[in-house]
Amino acid sequence: MWKTIVKKELLENILSYRFPLFGLIAMLLIPLGMYVNQLDYAKRVRDYDEQVRLATQAASSLSIQDVMAGTVAIKGFRRPALLSVYTRGFEGTLPRYYEFTQEGTKPGESSSSEESILSVQGKFDFVFLVQMVLSLVALLFASDVISGEKEAGTLRAMLSNRLPRDAILTGKVAGGYLALWAPFAGAFLVGLLLLVLRGFPVFGGDTPAKILIVFLAASVFLLAYFILGTMISASSSKTRTALVAILLVWAFFQLIMPKLSDMLAAIVHPIRTETQVSLEKSLLAGSLGMETAKELGRQYDLIFGSAPKGAANDEASPERKKWDPLKAGIEQGAKERKAQQLGAIDETYRQQKRRQQDLAVNLSLISPSAAFARLVADVCGTGELERTRYAEAVQAHARTLDGALFSKVKRTLMIHAGGGTSLGFSTEPVDFKALPQFSIAPASLADLFKANWKSLLSLAFWLIAPFAAAYVRFIKYDVR
Amino acid sequence: MTDANPILKADDLSKRYEDGVLALDHLNLEVRPGEVYCLLGANGAGKTTTINLFLNFIPPTTGTCFIKGIDVNRDPLEAKKHVAFVSENVMLYGNFTARQNLDFFAKLGGKTDLAKNDYYQVMRRVSLQEKAFDQRVKNFSKGMRQKLGISIAIIKDAPAVLLDEPTAGLDPKAATEFLEIMAELKNEGKAILMSTHDIFRAKEIGDRVGIMKEGRLVMERTRQELQYEDLVKIYIDYMKSEPLAI
Repeated sequence: MWKTIVKKELLENILSYRFPLFGLIAMLLIPLGMYVNQLDYAKRVRDYDEQVRLATQAASSLSIQDVMAGTVAIKGFRRPALLSVYTRGFEGTLPRYYEFTQEGTKPGESSSSEESILSVQGKFDFVFLVQMVLSLVALLFASDVISGEKEAGTLRAMLSNRLPRDAILTGKVAGGYLALWAPFAGAFLVGLLLLVLRGFPVFGGDTPAKILIVFLAASVFLLAYFILGTMISASSSKTRTALVAILLVWAFFQLIMPKLSDMLAAIVHPIRTETQVSLEKSLLAGSLGMETAKELGRQYDLIFGSAPKGAANDEASPERKKWDPLKAGIEQGAKERKAQQLGAIDETYRQQKRRQQDLAVNLSLISPSAAFARLVADVCGTGELERTRYAEAVQAHARTLDGALFSKVKRTLMIHAGGGTSLGFSTEPVDFKALPQFSIAPASLADLFKANWKSLLSLAFWLIAPFAAAYVRFIKYDVR
Repeated sequence: MTDANPILKADDLSKRYEDGVLALDHLNLEVRPGEVYCLLGANGAGKTTTINLFLNFIPPTTGTCFIKGIDVNRDPLEAKKHVAFVSENVMLYGNFTARQNLDFFAKLGGKTDLAKNDYYQVMRRVSLQEKAFDQRVKNFSKGMRQKLGISIAIIKDAPAVLLDEPTAGLDPKAATEFLEIMAELKNEGKAILMSTHDIFRAKEIGDRVGIMKEGRLVMERTRQELQYEDLVKIYIDYMKSEPLAI
């Protein structure tokens, strides 16, 4: 009986005008989106390769004098995410590279600087299509799934038979969704085939698994919207009423809720901007540097003030034997103090920001659309997870470079009691050809699921809750 | 008409809707195998509510409906195995052909092993034009839809048939053809309960005729009794009479 309903629903959809129309739209837009983004990805990879080559060349010609002069800026480039062909996510807003200097790290420009004003409306990619176009199509496909039968009276005809209502509901959902899913799946496969023909490396590493997850997530997302539409349809006696409700629900979930969540989080948990924090850090670093320089100058004057001439340059003099460990102690203490105080500012800011972001994420996950977009962006390496890993990789690389390069040159600034200053250097040998390369550790599938359990939970909720509501409405419906 | 057990039975059946309207008030009726029972009455008299209760589309407030001895409210799915339904506006899928509609509803009725020819045979029996068999029904006339609706009822081969205003809007020829088919079904032993406004056809086909007013069955006559009475006059007299005290 259930199969009969599924078949009928499928056939009814296939025979209607909307099936070929949707098939055509899907077949045109989905492969086109993949093709366009593949071209863009290929261009970004070419740029990346060229920039890395130039930066490696520049790094190999560095000398210790450059480090002493404080002009060294090592660039660490982020390779464009392979699966950004499916969703751009943060791809356009993440810095293409970071500059590592003795003074700290500095982000380079992002590719968004090359984008037109039209990009504020969202990038034309697979996720955009699924979120903005196919979600609406899914709702429209479901708009008359129950109300249409009520209006046409065919529900009475069906229910006059030995047919449980739950079989009707599940059969209609399954058949209706299948009619939506089949052209979507076909278009996805055509897009994938196009990528393969263009030489896109879809078969390496965990890429096939990730593409499969993208496809499954999109399928589940569309099913969630189809069920949402079914719930609205089951609660309406007229398809026209259902359509109005569907458009309102779509606008709320697609346009309002994801944007509102960031604004609400910023109101509930206001935090300082990154620029303010950066300014505070540089003021503090300057002030600490000044204190250290003054202390070093004071101690230097105390030790060498009454010492015979040339004692400062004679490593065997008793004054130097006293000065060297004292200087090292002051510099080490200053370094630790600086690290601790700047670290405290960073940590406080990170915590505040994490709290605000967690709130924004939790609020946005009320919308299945945000849950889907976050999940797929993370799978494709263009989401929050990639941003975090990028930031972590930058911090780790900064530490590594500090140990392998910047700490090999010690600059000692001293401010003496009379107001005079002096600058001293001490160096250790550096192998510039063996400097560590910047890289971001790719997220494993386990990392992806761990980071996205809330998104998965949200999608599961949007599958179950509307279906349960539709079920209750339909079971209790009095056929008159 | 036989003395066999009734196929359709309403036992003290009442229905009051959520808005307080009493649509059916202590209805008792029985339809036996080979019997046609016609329910006459104005709009809102309770005819369709009666059919809706037999089909478990709505639950009764009090009383019980039985189909072949099965309490409809207690075991609706089992009860619906034994009943076929044809409504005033036969509800079909416009994008399906006549055969596809018939196939779908036959399967819902439990007939899963029918061949194309079985469908054609039933459609021929109700005099549906051959060329219409594989045409989409969205362009069908009301008469053609009605014939297809009866085909669906016939193919289910249930012992009881419920008809809600089946001749409304049909031209005289189509209505006559319809009554001929009803007569055939009756001769096959089906118990037929038909709600209608059509007094003349009710008298022609009905073995028993009941008149409903404001949810009550106010009169019931057998075919024999109606040979000596004017059904039109009785009906009009009841319709003109004072509202019932409820």
